[in-house]
Amino acid sequence: MKKLVDVSIPIGPVHPCWKEPVRIKCETSGERVLSAEVELGYMKKGIEKIMRGRPWQEVMFLAERVCGICSVIHNMVFIEAMEEISGISLPPRAAYLRVIVNELDRMQSHLIANFSYCYTIEHETLAMYLLDVREQVLDQLERVTGARINTAYMIPGGVRFDLMEEDSGALRTALREIETGVKRYMKMFSSGPLISLRSRGIAVFSREDAIKARVVGPTARASGIPESDLRSRHPTYIKLGFQPVWREEGDNFARVMVRFDEILQSIDLIQKALDTLPEGDIRGGGICKAGETAYSGEAPRGELRYFIKTDEYGRVVDITIQTPSIMNIEACTHSMLKGVTSLADVTSTFISADPCIACMER
Amino acid sequence: MGYLYEKDLRMMKYHILQSPRHMSLVSRLADDLGMRVPDLQKAMIRRCDMAYLENLPARYETWLEEGDRDDELARAIGRELYTIYVPLLDPDKMQELHLKVKTMADESGSPQEAASAGICMIREEILT
Amino acid sequence: MSLLQQIKNKVRSKSIHVTFVDVGSCNGCDIEVLACLAPRYDIEQYGIYVHNNPREADILLVMGVMTPQWEDKLRILWNKIPDPKVAIAVGNCPISGCVFNRRESYVDPPVSKHIPIAAEVPGCPPRPTEILNAILSLAPVVFRDYEEKMK
Repeated sequence: MKKLVDVSIPIGPVHPCWKEPVRIKCETSGERVLSAEVELGYMKKGIEKIMRGRPWQEVMFLAERVCGICSVIHNMVFIEAMEEISGISLPPRAAYLRVIVNELDRMQSHLIANFSYCYTIEHETLAMYLLDVREQVLDQLERVTGARINTAYMIPGGVRFDLMEEDSGALRTALREIETGVKRYMKMFSSGPLISLRSRGIAVFSREDAIKARVVGPTARASGIPESDLRSRHPTYIKLGFQPVWREEGDNFARVMVRFDEILQSIDLIQKALDTLPEGDIRGGGICKAGETAYSGEAPRGELRYFIKTDEYGRVVDITIQTPSIMNIEACTHSMLKGVTSLADVTSTFISADPCIACMER
Repeated sequence: MGYLYEKDLRMMKYHILQSPRHMSLVSRLADDLGMRVPDLQKAMIRRCDMAYLENLPARYETWLEEGDRDDELARAIGRELYTIYVPLLDPDKMQELHLKVKTMADESGSPQEAASAGICMIREEILT
Repeated sequence: MSLLQQIKNKVRSKSIHVTFVDVGSCNGCDIEVLACLAPRYDIEQYGIYVHNNPREADILLVMGVMTPQWEDKLRILWNKIPDPKVAIAVGNCPISGCVFNRRESYVDPPVSKHIPIAAEVPGCPPRPTEILNAILSLAPVVFRDYEEKMK
């Protein structure tokens, strides 16, 4: 890219604030950032190339390992795309269980995103509180699916395990505890004067820019685009009466607060799903057929799309994964970082967009 | 080993352009511009950073929906496409070309001809 | 054993500095290492401190398969860590390449080709307690009487 000034400050690849390696080269005049450039390739594994020509039974586990933080949604979108190709119908109980697991995964993903943000603005106490809540959420995920990170819970035509009566009771109790915790930390975050100084009005991203850069997920909803939430088009979420949360400010504070709001909303959704959980089978079964589709679902970070082409034996012929982080990181580095007044805000702005490099490079 | 960690990124950028969606997009753009696919890939690798390259298909889709809505001629030559959505050209240069094409269209009275002449100029600009 | 060595042993047993580097994992192991920081596991009660500065570290946690960008950089990072030092491979990826070690991919596992690995924690991903256990059981073996052993 064209050089604007001589001073180019590289940040990364190994940086205390970033959990994954990425390198950002900021061109600055004084401390004001004029432009930023991303250097990737630290995580490029070529998953899409590995997936090609393999049966869905293998691709299912590979899809999960695209990203360890949002592994459940990768599993869910891949399986639902396969179901759409093959015309497999889903028992209602399984559909509800999928929502429960997906929302638990979203909660832990948002909690770790907000943890990273608090850690980056050096509010370590709040960060540790949030990490503690995340452990409780992971316990519940483990209770329902049997694993903490890579769960492999969903399969075409159903889910693997049923939710026992005593487990659902324990899940309810834990959710109430988590809710009190999250509400308390949310109040701490929104009323802290120093947190406000570091977050409010920093890296404002307007609605017009957001549409132009095609950002997705909480980053878009913080800039006032509620329709970016694809859950409002998912049949099971419509049954649960889902309404997206959104804000208008478009600064770092709004992005973090949208994620806090979504955690509370996820708790509501899980409780509603537990209340109305239908009885019946959890596995219908079916055979994966040949076909081609583009299927999208709402990942914790935004719209996740799978472009899949299969052959008659259920092998994946061609696959492309469009993850939300691609759009969000691109918009963040090229639009949000432009005009940030201090280099200290570069890291916090970048983290506020919830970047996931493993998703981005695959 | 010095203190600079700069590395040749061209091979890694080329890997990004290898996914099927990128391949179809690049061949489509190359068709529009009337140039060979490797030339366009080379220009992209030279001018875009890795985040842009990863995001190319999504940006192209946004252009199809949003970009150059009000101006037929600008859409035909892809004024915003090649400056904002797939940043291959300088905005000032593009403005200049757009003006040139506009006067050409007014003079000859045939927008198609002017647009194809404009695309020729854009191709030359990308190749240099 | 000299007095100096005894003091060193004492100090080293309660201050283990850890740095972690991700050479291309799926993030799963990353967040499990991060979870060790959480109050539930409380890594600091054992005297383990997590840094991101290799110059202060004693233990390097390596996660992920080797991607092309890291091939020269991991060695540089390893050389920056002062002696005594060890590297622990966390997760299946640095040990064998896990699911990514296929013909078509860009990766180059195992990590032990590039830097010496002292211990391995298998799992996809391993639990935080297993990571903690590995650090705690390896540290005394390596750091105790280090100077005497070197003689």
